[in-house]
Amino acid sequence: MSTTSPAPAPGPSLYIYAITGSDHPLRLEGLRAVGGVSGVLRAVTGGPLACVVSPAPPELRPKRRDLAAHQEVQERLMADGAVLPMRFGMLAPDDAGVVAALDGRRAEYVRRLEELHATAEFNLKAARSQDDLLREVLTESDDARRLNERTRDGGGTYADRVALGELVARQLDVRQGLLADQVVGRLSEMARGKVVAAPAGEDFLNASFLVERGRAEEFSRAARQLAQGYGEGYDFRLRGPLPPYSFVA
Amino acid sequence: MTVMTQTGGLPATASTGSGTGSLFDILELILDRGLVIDVFIRVSLVGIEILKIDIRIVIASVDTYLRFAEACNRLDLESGRKAPDKLSDIVGNIVEGGARGKTEGAISGALGAISDVFDRDDDKDK
Repeated sequence: MSTTSPAPAPGPSLYIYAITGSDHPLRLEGLRAVGGVSGVLRAVTGGPLACVVSPAPPELRPKRRDLAAHQEVQERLMADGAVLPMRFGMLAPDDAGVVAALDGRRAEYVRRLEELHATAEFNLKAARSQDDLLREVLTESDDARRLNERTRDGGGTYADRVALGELVARQLDVRQGLLADQVVGRLSEMARGKVVAAPAGEDFLNASFLVERGRAEEFSRAARQLAQGYGEGYDFRLRGPLPPYSFVA
Repeated sequence: MTVMTQTGGLPATASTGSGTGSLFDILELILDRGLVIDVFIRVSLVGIEILKIDIRIVIASVDTYLRFAEACNRLDLESGRKAPDKLSDIVGNIVEGGARGKTEGAISGALGAISDVFDRDDDKDK
């Protein structure tokens, strides 16, 4: 991704986790750093801001262990105050470089920390059984049903099969889009912000919500009730409270 | 229906927040969102770019159409939901992201590849 290095000779030496206010308790003891070493996390302070860092591991790759370490640092920090979580894999040259970066955008980071005070992210992914969706399309679309009957048991032409598939794909897309809008619409009013992203695999929904701590219970309960209302053939996965990854970029 | 909720953000009880399944579901948040400081380096990590492929592009291909047509042909409309749902019987509510389903597109393939990378690396660590 970004490859321009401000520090030419020695290379980056610090792995960067998060920015907090310098008044944050920063309970870093006992945490494992990215790279696997314990007890090496510390904070670099610059004015009203602090940046949590550790020595950069020699070879940084997205190992499960390291992603978990990155995430656990965020979880510890967010338990005690507002946090701006970094994207995984950010490296800084040295302490001075960190301080300069904090100073350069001080007002912006301070404002974001204030905005995110006492909030957390909830990510909701949802899928609907593809067979159910296909059945629904075939039940409700005469064209799809006709093409399906014609192409069954090896019948029909290649063009028939492509036409059936295209029709069905378009219908699935529309139906999944409607489902996503429904779910987001029902939960948005309980959130302060939302980011709806492209769903992966068979999911029809991948949405993140910024929720006030005071409403987190209410939000989870609403999401659970919503999921139960959809019933069989649906799969909802709610994650949270999470550090506000989707609301700091 | 399956509803899975995972509570993170609990101080020091690491295992609740970062189990295999829950980490998988927030991978894109950790890898693809979060704050970027542009004067710093972001290491180019194998697999990260793949996450950005838009699933919609994948869907609009003849190959996918043929697979959808085949899936329709296979459906037994009469049996409805009583037909044994092979996938949910086996997988239950284990979340494996794009790994399930018949129409596995490039996204799910990519996600699968990334988790393979983790597995390999983690094995190597032992």
